[in-house]
Amino acid sequence: MKKILAVLLCMGLTAGMLSGCGKSGQQDSKTDAATITIWHDKEDEVAQVLQEELEKLEPEVHVVLEKKSDLTEALKVVGNDPNAAPDMYFFAHDKIGVYAEMGILAPITDIIPEEELNRYMDMTLEAATYKGEIYQLPIYYETLLFLYNRLYMSEEDVPKTTEELYAYMQEKTKGGHYGFVEQHSTPYYAAGWIHGFGGYLINEDGEPGLNSPETIQALEYHKKFVDLMPGETEYATVNTLFNEGKAHATIAGPWLIPTVKASGMDVGVASMPVIDETGAPVSPYTGVQGIQVLKYAAENKSEAVEKILRQLMEPDIGVKLAQASGCAPANEACYEMEAVTGDEVVMAMKETAENAVPMPNIPEMDVMWTVAGNLLTDVNMSGKDVTESANEAQKEAEQLIESMK
Amino acid sequence: MRKMFKKLSFLLAAVMMMITVFQIPVMAAPAEDMTIIYAQVPQDWEAPCIWAWDEDGNNAFAAWPGGSMEADADNEGWYYAWIPSWANHVIINGNEGDVQTGEQVLEGKNAWITVASPEEVTISYEQQTTGEIPEYVETFTVHAKVADSWSEPNLWAWSVPDGTNVYEAWPGEPMTMGEDGWYTMEVPTWVNSLIVNANGGEVQTEDLSVDAAEVWITVAEDGSFEFTYDDPEQKEIGTIMVRVIAPSDWEAPNLWAWSAPDGTNVFTTWPGEPLEEGLDGWLKKEVPGWVNSLIVNGNEGSVQTTDISVEAGKDVWLVVKGPEEAEVYYEEPQIEQETEEAKSEKAETEKPAEEKSDMTMVWVIIVIVVAAAVIAGVVVIKKKKK
Repeated sequence: MKKILAVLLCMGLTAGMLSGCGKSGQQDSKTDAATITIWHDKEDEVAQVLQEELEKLEPEVHVVLEKKSDLTEALKVVGNDPNAAPDMYFFAHDKIGVYAEMGILAPITDIIPEEELNRYMDMTLEAATYKGEIYQLPIYYETLLFLYNRLYMSEEDVPKTTEELYAYMQEKTKGGHYGFVEQHSTPYYAAGWIHGFGGYLINEDGEPGLNSPETIQALEYHKKFVDLMPGETEYATVNTLFNEGKAHATIAGPWLIPTVKASGMDVGVASMPVIDETGAPVSPYTGVQGIQVLKYAAENKSEAVEKILRQLMEPDIGVKLAQASGCAPANEACYEMEAVTGDEVVMAMKETAENAVPMPNIPEMDVMWTVAGNLLTDVNMSGKDVTESANEAQKEAEQLIESMK
Repeated sequence: MRKMFKKLSFLLAAVMMMITVFQIPVMAAPAEDMTIIYAQVPQDWEAPCIWAWDEDGNNAFAAWPGGSMEADADNEGWYYAWIPSWANHVIINGNEGDVQTGEQVLEGKNAWITVASPEEVTISYEQQTTGEIPEYVETFTVHAKVADSWSEPNLWAWSVPDGTNVYEAWPGEPMTMGEDGWYTMEVPTWVNSLIVNANGGEVQTEDLSVDAAEVWITVAEDGSFEFTYDDPEQKEIGTIMVRVIAPSDWEAPNLWAWSAPDGTNVFTTWPGEPLEEGLDGWLKKEVPGWVNSLIVNGNEGSVQTTDISVEAGKDVWLVVKGPEEAEVYYEEPQIEQETEEAKSEKAETEKPAEEKSDMTMVWVIIVIVVAAAVIAGVVVIKKKKK
């Protein structure tokens, strides 16, 4: 009996040791100062460029690039646990405020002196800054673009102003075709019109601006364009209308371009039209993609982290990303290279980005998407009074933000 | 008898083609990736057309008999048409599809097809015609329905603002009458202005400014007109019946229906409306005829199919086998459906098997425990003997 017990004990111990080994190994990689885990949510083309670039640091620094589809939520849960959290993450700038408030991020300037960041476009550094600290090393940015189908709209026909666009829509919206379509009741898209009037969804102090005179004026002006578009403005519907040749032009992200090209469209990219009333162009939000460092890694793996950041500061990576996935580099030096300046889409994004507004990176922005979306639905689709709806939405946004405190 | 067999096989082939037409989506092709197909057909084959598709079932043309083949003025007896390079399966037909070849598989490059009879077809990839191969010109279709007093309508087409005309002289070229009452004509995609005229140019519309996309123009006697880029025949559709067989573990299946790409939904909120039990074993729901997209879901919308594209205006039968697996039919398929009786019989026969399986597990455990006890006993006894 003792022997049986001994055998069972041995088996148990072996199993325990084996599982223990696994666990201990995992902890080692997490605490190994030369191994850096980076979470990201990027498409394969972008991930591959990052991977190849960071492999150059081997064997001194070993980088594990891990794709996480639920990156933002996962970071909220494990961000404070060095054993479970990554050392760095590659993502858009708009969640910086949330994580900075959680206390899990280290300013980039703890590792790279601020003066070395002068090589980045001002807009991208502005996006990376939260409460005076720079929390992101910007790599590239994305913004919406004015896209048109060259089968219907010649280069000379491309509207330079919003009134020209309106006249074009009046002339061409007939028989089931549309002169222009956009996701008019989605805040991310409507924000471009609001910014063009000097309005805003929320300012950097976390104050909503849904009933500011500029925002109300923008909503009232935009309504006549909405009247010449389909009522349904889901992402898929708008993109399908454009892709299937039922709309001459649209405002969409650069990610739509490969799809429409694959379906045989000769697609053109143009600057955003200038709003006649204000003289400013439609100014959409821009998202800056870059790398953030978690506090634990900044404090305990600073040498490896610095090597990675410096590797990603090379202009070469911006060029490779532009070529691989049409990304617009954040590093100014890239715009002196033919590979970037010759790319129509990247250059259109740069032009649009000169007037674009970085997406707010403050935590309060989270509540604005729903409230602003409801306001747009009330005004554009339910025909409610603009001022009354804006006042109600403003009140709701203020209450929600107050409840966050 | 042989003749009858031939006729029957052609009829079957035609039926198959029609089924194919209604089931398979038409794909657009980039203009630069086109192949020219020449054909020489028997003298009694009038107005030859080409029908083309690929192995995945993508059709190059929207409807049988396919694209018209144009007579080559420099090579008498030869007709040509451009098709997308990916469409490497073709049928040459004539007399509005009444006569046709069998399926010809091409090598995806320019081809010269000689049709001596429906069964005797030879294909050459060496140029069989003289002179330059015509340049590819991308076109779109103009359909026109005119008042009865308008005879032999013509189309006049040009480009604004440069004023380039498609045809040499007014009143343009005659449009081709179709069985559906619509006259049609292909025009180059650089055209953006049209005039429909008739009676030798005596009656006409005003200038129509159009997109380079398939368009339907309805002309009244006084020349006034309306036009649409959506097939008006489709709009006259009433309702269709959707019949569904859903997986047995999908409780209370619902139907969600809409029109793509405009996104018009039939029901106001997800997951749509419940499918009703039919007497024939199918679940069913009547929806407007303009619906061309469906989702079947169950368990209050927690399980669902992917988007299912269907032909607008046609009753449809869906056999859903899982979220990613749905078969679409436009005629009732022969499906072995389990009657309630069969289901209960099956359940009865399956039940003991499950119980048996559970019991087997119990017995295995008992045997292991007993064996362990016996071994332990032996060890103890041996130890005691020592």
